[in-house]
Amino acid sequence: MFELLFKYPAAMFQKGEFVFGRSWPVWLLIAAALAAAAYAGTVAWRARARWSVVPYTPVQRWLRPAILGALGWASIAVLLLMLWQPALSVSSLKPRQNVVAVVVDSSKSMALPGQGTTRIAQARNLLDSGLLADLKARYPVRIYAAGADATRVETPSAIEPVAPVTRLGNSLSQVAAESATLPIGAIVLLTDGSDNARGFDRAALSALKQARIPVHAIGFGPETLPPDIEMLNAGAPARALPGSRIPIVVRIRHSGFDQRQLKLTASSEGKPLATRQITLPASGQLAAENITITAGKAGAMNVQISVEPLGGELSPANNSQSVLVQVEDRKPRILYFEGEPRWELKFIRRAAEEDKTLELASLLRTTQNKFYRQGIASPAELVNGFPSTVEEIFSYDGLIIGSVEAGAFTPTQLSLIKAFADRRGGGVLFLGGRTALSEGAWHTTDVAEMLPVSLSGRKDTFSRNPVKAELTQQGVLHDLTRLDDSPSSNAARWRALPPIADFQQSGPPKPAALVLLEAASAQGRQPLLAVQPFGRGRVALLSTGGTWKWQMLMDARDQSHESFWKQMLRWLVSESRPRIAARVSESVLNDAESLRIDAEVFDPNFLPTSEATVEARITQPGGETALATLQPDPIRPGRYTADFRALAPGAYVAQLSARLGDTEFARDELMFRRQDGVAEAFHPEQDRPLLEHLASQTGGKYWTPATARDLPKEIEFSEAGLSVRELHDLWDSPFAFLLLIGLKAAEWLLRRRWGAV
Amino acid sequence: MKLRHAIAAVVLIALAATAVLAFQRGGGRRGFRVFQDSDEPLVLPSDANEKNEFNFARLRYTNVRASGMWAARGSWSVDYPKADRQFLMGVRRLTRLNTHSIETVVDLHSDEIFNHPFVYVVEPGHWNLSGTEAAKLREYVERGGFLMTDDFHGTYSWGNFMASLSRAFPDKSVTDIPNDDPIFHVVYGLQDRFQVPGIVNYPFQQTHEYDGFESRWRAVRDSKGRIVVAICHNMDLGDAWEWADHPEYPEKYASLAYRIGINYILYAMTH
Repeated sequence: MFELLFKYPAAMFQKGEFVFGRSWPVWLLIAAALAAAAYAGTVAWRARARWSVVPYTPVQRWLRPAILGALGWASIAVLLLMLWQPALSVSSLKPRQNVVAVVVDSSKSMALPGQGTTRIAQARNLLDSGLLADLKARYPVRIYAAGADATRVETPSAIEPVAPVTRLGNSLSQVAAESATLPIGAIVLLTDGSDNARGFDRAALSALKQARIPVHAIGFGPETLPPDIEMLNAGAPARALPGSRIPIVVRIRHSGFDQRQLKLTASSEGKPLATRQITLPASGQLAAENITITAGKAGAMNVQISVEPLGGELSPANNSQSVLVQVEDRKPRILYFEGEPRWELKFIRRAAEEDKTLELASLLRTTQNKFYRQGIASPAELVNGFPSTVEEIFSYDGLIIGSVEAGAFTPTQLSLIKAFADRRGGGVLFLGGRTALSEGAWHTTDVAEMLPVSLSGRKDTFSRNPVKAELTQQGVLHDLTRLDDSPSSNAARWRALPPIADFQQSGPPKPAALVLLEAASAQGRQPLLAVQPFGRGRVALLSTGGTWKWQMLMDARDQSHESFWKQMLRWLVSESRPRIAARVSESVLNDAESLRIDAEVFDPNFLPTSEATVEARITQPGGETALATLQPDPIRPGRYTADFRALAPGAYVAQLSARLGDTEFARDELMFRRQDGVAEAFHPEQDRPLLEHLASQTGGKYWTPATARDLPKEIEFSEAGLSVRELHDLWDSPFAFLLLIGLKAAEWLLRRRWGAV
Repeated sequence: MKLRHAIAAVVLIALAATAVLAFQRGGGRRGFRVFQDSDEPLVLPSDANEKNEFNFARLRYTNVRASGMWAARGSWSVDYPKADRQFLMGVRRLTRLNTHSIETVVDLHSDEIFNHPFVYVVEPGHWNLSGTEAAKLREYVERGGFLMTDDFHGTYSWGNFMASLSRAFPDKSVTDIPNDDPIFHVVYGLQDRFQVPGIVNYPFQQTHEYDGFESRWRAVRDSKGRIVVAICHNMDLGDAWEWADHPEYPEKYASLAYRIGINYILYAMTH
């Protein structure tokens, strides 16, 4: 109907440009239209006398001449428009001289069900049922199978859904690149849009746009998630200490399995490490679940997180994800400085002795003139008391300041405590006590800046009245306060703990602080355990010296006190890094090969340095090594980066070294892994938004298999390849004449009806 | 007549009993004359109600036999409370430990003992722990408690002591503490020690009681090698604390007793 009225298909109007065939100036048209309007207005004004008497209402007296005047003017305007000969200027492909590239997705996801059959079968059927013949009737056609890249095939039947990965951007860029030697007029892409690169990169899209090749995308597969459970991702810390708890967060989506209970399992090398029962939310809602495992020995720990498959799932292959955790071969050291003999030190030491992954050195002021040192590595360690040099204090990874007044430190030592977190990236824990925090005048020092609370500065803040530690909402899920993986069991265990021996009021939490425990005292609930980042490190405040009651007043078999302190000590040191700290953009590459290696490099004062030579020696799965030189970032001092391509699946080990001249001053090691054949199992539904975006950005159109029969006609209008721009008259279209006749007929009928003839 | 005879018999029996008791502990009759307790009751220090980090807890236990001059109040209370309070004065003066000024008496019948990770036991040669008490003592130690024993002498007392101790720790052995153990160095270097006598040894020409000729420094350790029961056998630190202010009690014994006590407390608070 559209074509009957307007002479040309709608696609031509979408692609074309509206122009006038006459070379007369447009201003003349506008002037003539205005003159016509003035004439019509004058005629109407004169005619108004006819309706200016009873029985006509005032509205009728104005409205009727105005409508008749407007209709008269519209007729003249349409006539004037036709005199200027409006036309469409459209680029169209020269028949038989342009190639149309038909690109069919050959990835494994095309073997998933579409509408009654597999997606690939549906695509083949569509091509064989006339689409390909129609295209071939107009243009030479080239057929490609698209996996990681595009491969030319002779017929659609030669395409099998076996490619382990889809890289639509790569494939289309490759086809577009052929336009340099081949007049490619358009690309017809048959796919489910399941691109493992999760969208087109800018370069691929830019190449297509530059070649002006419209991509007409035909989408296959359901647009919403079919009945399936899919683990979208799993996140874990890249590094962990041997024996430490590793929290893993997974996100799961599903369709059709509302409120179903299933088992979430973390395993490594086939051995289950942890299991949890979870309940799926309503369809469409994301489930975020936690599971905690214990790190093994030093080395790479490949952890598989999976949910058990349920009957009726589209594909059980997307029920699991992998994370790679590097269990570090280092033994962090923590210095605990206690200003007076306290039971807390004994029981913290006992908890630390249970943990073979770290060392706790303690310095206790026993008398006015004596320190008692424990856990020292050499007779000289701490022999002069608390460290007063950068080298000395930065040799530790964590710091605990007990009940000791600020005045016991020199200004240099106070600035070192601050630098320890800020520059060194260490963790600092401040304990409450008789001479701690405000009682010890810490609020008068710069160190107060690093505390997660604003110290009140009041005296009499310390009390030996027992108070109960209460878990906050933030504390329920935090690693520091997790005594049990289940949030409800964790809360129950905290409720079961006896009151702590003492409590010191500190002050209100700062904006960046997380309050994990509160003390339920007579003054209300106040921060007991609060944490916050500071510089490159982290700071915690535990406003008591009385957690030892959790040990003495609980059954000897209860491990709450030990667990809390082991987690606290590990938390203190988990972010501390050597003078070179490296990381990769992704530790597990699922059907991908590109990754970025980043490193931060520091001088002996832990200030960023860009003077170093940083290299990564990467041992690849086959045993061969590759050398990557990391380049310093021109903007961020101390940052170095290198791009690397993991060409083969398997495990990679990168050993980084930082040198100044010929002297190596720091080393680090990291691991990553590439695994193929995984990504295709994910995102099983059609990615229609991606295909629509691709089509609209390139000047093409999104099609469904049902509408694709019109594609051969529309494909003609393209600026790519060998095209010609033509003018198509519009003035002689049936619509224009019908409009003119319609306007005059309407005017005549109204005049008749209103008695104006 | 009969009444006079009866009164005379009672007086004789009382005199005889007193004489036997006086000679029972090394024949120190002169010690009793010189080191007599003041008739004035001890006055509570003004800060006795303060709450402090450290409480000197004294264990009240069941006696193995109910005889002797301590039968009425129990062997656990020997030197109590003057020794405790006088010792704590020294602890306050010599260390940074925030200690309560008076002792706290605990037993193995209630859970109060778990609030005190350091417990002092005097005359454990007379204790007789029931199975329940022994189990609680073991639980106390396993949670992190520390037991210090003092003032029992010779083979007989040792046997009694071990009978009850073995009930609590059937799988543990008692070993001598070597001189280089941290317990002898945590505050004071105590590698050179000597026997600390009780007042019954006045005028201290000899320092032992019964056949406890040599002081023995022994311990029960936990699985990590930490001392959890420190056994001071054949010495009387409690008397040294109690009579440290007495001109007749030699300063060197009092000084060593204070140092040992302080070291043991600080060890208990750091290990």
